[in-house]
Amino acid sequence: MKSDKIQIRKTTVYIVIFYILIFATWQVLFNAGLIPDYLFPSPVDVATRMRELWEEGYLLPSISATAQRMAVGFSIGAALGLALGLLMGVSPIVNHCLKSLFLGLQTLPTAAWVPISLLIFGLSVHGIYFVIIMSSVPAIAISISSGILHIPTIYIRAAKTLGTRWYAMPVRVILPAALPAIVTGLKLGWTLGWHGGVSAELIKSSVGLGFLLYMGRELNDSAQVVGIMLLTILFGLLLDRFFFGIIEKRIRIRWGLEKNE
Amino acid sequence: MEEIQPIEPETAPAATPTVKLKLRNVSMMFHGATQTVEALAPLDLEIMEGELVVFFGPSGCGKSTLLNLIAGFEQPSTGEITLDGEPVTKPGSDRLMMFQEHGLFPWLSVINNVTYGLKNRRRYRFRPWKQRAIAREWLKLMNLEEFEKTLIHELSGGMKQRVALARALAPDPHVLLVDEPFPALDALTKSKLYGDLQEILISRKKTIISVTHDPREAACLGDRILVFTPSPGRVQKEIRVELPRPRDINDPAIGEYAAQIMAELESQSDEKRQDTD
Repeated sequence: MKSDKIQIRKTTVYIVIFYILIFATWQVLFNAGLIPDYLFPSPVDVATRMRELWEEGYLLPSISATAQRMAVGFSIGAALGLALGLLMGVSPIVNHCLKSLFLGLQTLPTAAWVPISLLIFGLSVHGIYFVIIMSSVPAIAISISSGILHIPTIYIRAAKTLGTRWYAMPVRVILPAALPAIVTGLKLGWTLGWHGGVSAELIKSSVGLGFLLYMGRELNDSAQVVGIMLLTILFGLLLDRFFFGIIEKRIRIRWGLEKNE
Repeated sequence: MEEIQPIEPETAPAATPTVKLKLRNVSMMFHGATQTVEALAPLDLEIMEGELVVFFGPSGCGKSTLLNLIAGFEQPSTGEITLDGEPVTKPGSDRLMMFQEHGLFPWLSVINNVTYGLKNRRRYRFRPWKQRAIAREWLKLMNLEEFEKTLIHELSGGMKQRVALARALAPDPHVLLVDEPFPALDALTKSKLYGDLQEILISRKKTIISVTHDPREAACLGDRILVFTPSPGRVQKEIRVELPRPRDINDPAIGEYAAQIMAELESQSDEKRQDTD
C-alpha cells in the first residue's frame, strides 16, 4: 500500500512537470513571435481573457447553462437508453432490429444532429436537449444491451437454483449483474452527449460554453476561444475521468472484474 | 402470504429409505455443427432420501452434465427425472445447486447472499427478521458471523465457498447438488470444509449429490460412489463406502478406497482399449 502511494505521488509529479513544460513551451513559442498574436494567444493572454470573462459575468452563467442543459438532456437520454438497452437485452428480436439502427446512428458525428434539430426545434433550448439525447442514447442502449447479454451464466443459474421467479429476475439479478456495463454505457453516453451538447450550443444559444466559443470566433478573440476550449476539456475530464471513472472502477472491483490497485 | 404453513404433510418416519430421486433412461446428446456427441449414455438411477452420492470420473465423462440435468438447467435428450415422483422440468430450490465458482452475488453483502434463497420460498416464507436470524445461524456455523456485512470481493476463496455453502443450505433444500466446490483451495482449508460439510450432512439428513474428479474427496464424502467413464459418459461401477462418519480426508482408510476407485477407472479404460483393438 505504502509503495503504491509513493508510486502515485511520483506519477503525479511527472504529470505536473509535463504540463508546466507544455505551458512554458507555449509561452516561449509566443515570445518568439513566429505567428501573429491575434491567431496565437499566449497562456497569459488566455488567463487574462478568462478572468475578464469571469468579471464581466459571462463565464458563470454560461457554465451553469451548459451544466443545466447537460443535466436535463443526459437524464432523459440515460433513461431512454437504459429502457431501450433493457428491452434489447431481454428480447432478441428487438435487439437485432435496434442494434443495426443504433450502430448506424453511432457512425454519425454528434455535431451532425445540429442542423436537423435547428429545422425541428428552431433556436429553442429543446433542440440542444434533442442533440444531447440523440448523441447519447445509441451508445448507452448498445452497451447496456450487450452487458445484459453477456451476464455470466453462473449468476443466472445461481438465481434460478435459489428459486428466483422469472418476473423477479430483471430487478433482482439481471440489472445488478449488468451494473458494470450499465455504468460504462452511461459514461460513454455522457461523453458523446457532452460533445453533442457543446456543438449544439455553438449555433443555437445565447449563453453556454459553446456560445462563448462561437462569440470568441465572431470577435476574432483567439484568447477566448482557446480559454473556453481548455475549460470545456476541464469539465469533460472532471466528469468523465473522475465522476464516472471512479464509480465505474469501484463497481468493477466489487464485481470482481478488476483487481484493486 | 406471510403465514407459516408446513412444507408438506407429515409422513410417518419410514423404516425403509424412500426413493428421493429417480432417473429413468436418461441420456444427453449435444448437437454440434459437424457432429453429435453423446455426452451421457442412457442411465437408470435411484437415489434414496438422505443418501450422499458422489459422481466420480475424469473430465468429459458426463458427470457434470448429469448434475445439470438433475438441477433442471438442461433437459435430457431421452428419459425422465423425477423428484418425489414429480418430473423435473426446470431449476428450483428443491434441488439447490452449489457451484464450482461460488456464484455469489457481488451486489449483495454476505448476509444478503445467504437470505437470498429464503426470500424466494413459496410455501414457507419467513418474515425478514426470521430470515436474517436463520442466515446468522448458518454464518455462525461456518465461522463467518463477523463477516455478515462484508462484501464478496473482500473475502478469501475459502470464505467465499463457505458463504456459498451457507447460501445453498439456508433455504433448507431437500436435495443439495454440489459441483466440485473446492477445487482451487489449499489442502488445509479443503480438509476443514470437508469436516464442516459432513457435520452438517449428518445432522440434517439431506440428500446430496456431489461431483468430483478427486478420488479422496469422493471416498471422504460419499455413501455411494458412481464411477463414470467418458465417450459416451456412462456409469461403470458403483462403490459403497462403509466407513463411519465424520471421515477425515487424510485417513489411510480413505486412501484405500481412493486407490480402489482409481483402479476401477483404470481397468475400465484398459477394457475399452482392448475393445477398440
